Amino acid sequence: MIKKLLLSLLTLYQKFFTLIGYGSCRYYPTCSEYARWQFEENPLHIAFYKSALRILSCNQLFPGGIDYPQKHRFCEKPVEKAEDLTINKIKFWLVPSKNKKISIIKNFRFKG
Amino acid sequence: MSANQRLILAVVLSFVFFVGYTTIFPPEQSKNDLNITAQVQAKQATTTLPDVTLNHDISADEQVEAIDTTKLVVLDSEKFSMTIDTLGRISSKILKDEKYNNNENVHSQMVAQIGTKPLHMRFVDKALNDEALKVPYTTNVTKVSISEGSPAVITMQQKLSNETITKKMRVYADGHYDLHITLSRDARYFLYLGQHVKRKGQMMMAVHGAMVYHGDDLTTIVADEDAESRQNFNDVHLTSSFDQYFASIIYGLTPNTTVTIDRDREGDPIVYIAGSKNFTLNGYIGPKEYKVLESIDPVLTNSIEYGWFTFASAPLFKVLSWLHGFFGNWGWAIIALTLLIRMILFPLTYKGMLSMQKMKEVAPKVKEMQAKHKGDPQRMNAAVMEIYKKEGANPLGGCLPLLLQIPVFYAIYRVLLNSVELQGADWILWVNDLSRMDPYYILPILMGATMFYQQHITPNNFTDPMQEKIFKYLPVIFTFFFITFPSGLVLYWFVNNIFSILQQFIVNKQFAAMKALKAANNTKEEGK
Repeated sequence: MIKKLLLSLLTLYQKFFTLIGYGSCRYYPTCSEYARWQFEENPLHIAFYKSALRILSCNQLFPGGIDYPQKHRFCEKPVEKAEDLTINKIKFWLVPSKNKKISIIKNFRFKG
Repeated sequence: MSANQRLILAVVLSFVFFVGYTTIFPPEQSKNDLNITAQVQAKQATTTLPDVTLNHDISADEQVEAIDTTKLVVLDSEKFSMTIDTLGRISSKILKDEKYNNNENVHSQMVAQIGTKPLHMRFVDKALNDEALKVPYTTNVTKVSISEGSPAVITMQQKLSNETITKKMRVYADGHYDLHITLSRDARYFLYLGQHVKRKGQMMMAVHGAMVYHGDDLTTIVADEDAESRQNFNDVHLTSSFDQYFASIIYGLTPNTTVTIDRDREGDPIVYIAGSKNFTLNGYIGPKEYKVLESIDPVLTNSIEYGWFTFASAPLFKVLSWLHGFFGNWGWAIIALTLLIRMILFPLTYKGMLSMQKMKEVAPKVKEMQAKHKGDPQRMNAAVMEIYKKEGANPLGGCLPLLLQIPVFYAIYRVLLNSVELQGADWILWVNDLSRMDPYYILPILMGATMFYQQHITPNNFTDPMQEKIFKYLPVIFTFFFITFPSGLVLYWFVNNIFSILQQFIVNKQFAAMKALKAANNTKEEGK
């Protein structure tokens, strides 16, 4: 419920308010996109904390560049329909990276 | 364009139209408003009496309105003219300085003509109260002039059948007064703080109502129309009935004095103080000017209120006031403040400038990537960021400096909104009042133009064509949005834009110089 509200606020921000300072984020994904992935994949408090850290580090004292969110706790979710496994339906790739961490990477070919 | 996008566009366009329309055709509307309020006031006046039983607290006072408003004493000074009526209340205080004039260009009235008046006494004993409302006060003087260093001293007396009330008052030229009340026999009574004038054309979000500053730095504010149940306070340092710029304040109370905030019929707060047989207090009625309040008693500066953002706005005002000390002009002070904020952010900007030098090596790779992923902006952004990270060069400013601007802007907005000092404060040429909108629309248009130019020289790549369209029209939307804002605020935004443009220019120049130097070195090497 709260998650849905926050995500719709993010959408509103991404549609309009971001225009005031468009194209200034130093990262991929952008801070708002990063927050969106966090809220979609992680528990609320983790998502808040990580998103706040991200915004604080989005200035010229930090290098910027590519910075994917990490999955807080990995649990296997069975897929209900076989068609959900086609390339255009998969939203995130969960990719194991260094230190046993799992990066959340958006599928470029995902069609919402 | 999808149906959804068309809807959004329609909303934005109608908003722009609405703002544009109301700014171009305001006079007819305000005239209508005036008629309506006049009618409402007339109605209120006629309906006051039948309502008497509804709420005895207020009706008692409004009954007085119908019986008596005669002048007892007129106090006159260079800055104001104050009247005390035959019931020992401050019935009127008019500021003579023209910069305080209201929208109709009439001298500002500090005391509400409808509602409770300062220093009105209500006795708990019904018979005593009724008699007190009928018997006029007598006084030793009827006309006093006040000047710097020689306050007016007035003694007023009300002789009732078995009670004598004496009010000794000392009114100073800076607008504050001392009051000493003595009763011949002990009786319970309440002393009113008075209500502020309901002014037309108050700015958006300016708080008005009543406040109590009490205990250990606690501020309780009850906004107009929001008053609910009765609230009692002890250990009160000051209580104030205020609007955007002006206030009636009572301070100097002993800690055990009880101050009550009650509600009237419209839900506006009414403040009264439980008095005693031998009662002393201090008061102030007038503009909430920081320096004046501070010189009277530093505690009074707590009555200056910028809404929930006071914690940021109050220090900001101090900085602005300090800068005003240097320049002697609020317009230049605002510009200096903008520069100061820019300087605080300079280490960040400088770092960004340094990384610019590396950009040259990166540029061809970035171009290559942009060409490669032309149809897929998401992938392109990711690829470009990958390069930035590899090369350790990133030309973008970041979200934090941008987001930081928002609270700073809001704090400045609140300061400009509530600082009476800015009333009638001129800058250069056509700008003659930084607290009001620009009558010639020049500043908002300049603001829009600089914003457009700034957008023009900053590179961007949009993933959504709809967004790109709104982005292009943003300076226009902002221009309309800023038209009704105080000139001081538009000035801040305008100067901020200019600094951004200058910064971009310096960066571009440095970049070009680097390029030229490198090119020169290359040709030298080739020559060898």
